[in-house]
Amino acid sequence: MTARTGRRLLNAYVVAMMVFLALPIAIVIPSAFGEGGDLSFPPRGFSLKWFGAILERPELMAAAANSAAIALVATAVSLVVGTLSAVALRRYSFPGRGALMTLFMAPLVFPAIVLAAAIAMVLAPLGLIRTFQGLVLAHIVVVLPYVVRTVSATLAEIDRAWEEAALTLGASPWQGFRTVTLPLLRPGLVAGATFSLIISFDEFTISLFLVGSGMMTLPIEMYNYAEFSLDPTLAAVSTLLILLTTLAVLAVERTVGLGKQFS
Amino acid sequence: MLPPPPRRADPRRTFAAAALLAPGVLLLALILVWPFLVMLGMSLRERFPGPIGPSFAKYAEFLTDPYLLNVALRTFSLAATVTLLCAVLGYPIAWFLARSRSRWAHLVFLGTIFPLLVSIVVRTMGWTILLGNEGLVNAALLGLGLVTEPLRLMQGFWSVVLGMVHVLMPFMVLSIAAVLGRIDVAYAEAAATLGATPLRNFLSVTLPLSVQGVAAGSVIVFCLTVGAFITPIWLGRGHVTVMAIAIHEQMVTLVDWPGGAASGILLSLATLLLLGGYGLLLRRWARR
Repeated sequence: MTARTGRRLLNAYVVAMMVFLALPIAIVIPSAFGEGGDLSFPPRGFSLKWFGAILERPELMAAAANSAAIALVATAVSLVVGTLSAVALRRYSFPGRGALMTLFMAPLVFPAIVLAAAIAMVLAPLGLIRTFQGLVLAHIVVVLPYVVRTVSATLAEIDRAWEEAALTLGASPWQGFRTVTLPLLRPGLVAGATFSLIISFDEFTISLFLVGSGMMTLPIEMYNYAEFSLDPTLAAVSTLLILLTTLAVLAVERTVGLGKQFS
Repeated sequence: MLPPPPRRADPRRTFAAAALLAPGVLLLALILVWPFLVMLGMSLRERFPGPIGPSFAKYAEFLTDPYLLNVALRTFSLAATVTLLCAVLGYPIAWFLARSRSRWAHLVFLGTIFPLLVSIVVRTMGWTILLGNEGLVNAALLGLGLVTEPLRLMQGFWSVVLGMVHVLMPFMVLSIAAVLGRIDVAYAEAAATLGATPLRNFLSVTLPLSVQGVAAGSVIVFCLTVGAFITPIWLGRGHVTVMAIAIHEQMVTLVDWPGGAASGILLSLATLLLLGGYGLLLRRWARR
């Protein structure tokens, strides 16, 4: 096998895998525009009625509003807390730094269902089940690692000489941070905030034991809805979610570049 | 992964670091460490509400219940299958991302991370549209006359595997690509100059050097599969009960919190042990 055939095989394989990754997402979109009442493929006819049908589902609308509010508050809190932690972990040396880094990343790999059950056991006696505050607290733990990661990756790229120059010129550490480091951190903050918003908005398992009548999140409401009837209303909601995600990804790509956040 | 400590520790700087870390550590202590301890305590009760214990009744119950043991076995075989498939199927994509100078590389990168950011409910529903009785795959098979009635493609172990591989592959690809990108191409070139065939070159030079990436990706994929709820319950249609579904049953349907807590602790311990063993194995293999 020559190097050239090898390369062609690899290219063909990569194209096939891209189709595999995109197909289950792309297929949802045409299903939202069908006339029939089921999720068959290919859809019959063309209609926008399922987007209108979303408005007649107050439970979906309320759940979407809850999810958006939870994502906003959880992101705001973890952006502040995560940035402070990332600065400490990257810029200072102290005993136990490695262990703390592991602690901050732990929610990423801890079996989600176990974390969800454990958080519910703590929040239940406090009366925080089925409350906005309870869900926000749980979501903070899930998104914090993403913020710490993106911010500390950006911090590693910033030349310390800039900060040291500010300090030498008489700036206080806080002034140095606010006028030098923080503006340089912007790409990491934008990317961290976007991922955090998306991940909180889509979070399913962590919310599982914390939701209930009166306080639902969109993913769980969608799941409950699907259990009851699988009609194109859900495909319409999903199409809107795909659109939102695409816009968010494009915004990050345009402003700071996604590649930097993952390498 | 951490850079070398930037400066010698001095008490004032240690104090500043502690102040910066305080909110984060406090949050994690309250919503990560404390819940885990509460769960540990809960698992040592016989019933809740009831005496505090300690009793190992719930652990004994789990370890002698054939249903739960079966569920645990299914969960770990699912996680192992998904991890293996992600590694094998994802490696070439990571290779392409790290080594190809193609102008499409960035598009492939976006194509890899985009699914990661699309709601898991949306992706799972996509599989329903593809694999359902009236889905695309069945429509194609019927249209081509390959089958006479729709195949039941959902509700099996393998439909869950398919859905999980789709959800988790990006984590594996990104982990491997990050390590592959750091390997000096000169090693492979040296081996090629010394007469190694491309296959031998890959197996004895590049693969061992990239094993760290495979290991990191495997840990993430394995842990996320072990804790997954929505993909197994939706694509398995109630026929693929995994630990997450069993714990949900114990907590919500049976309202047996000590039982759910014991299952949770055992699941975490087993995951930790398996990953520890896997890490040792990989390290030994890479050193060979």
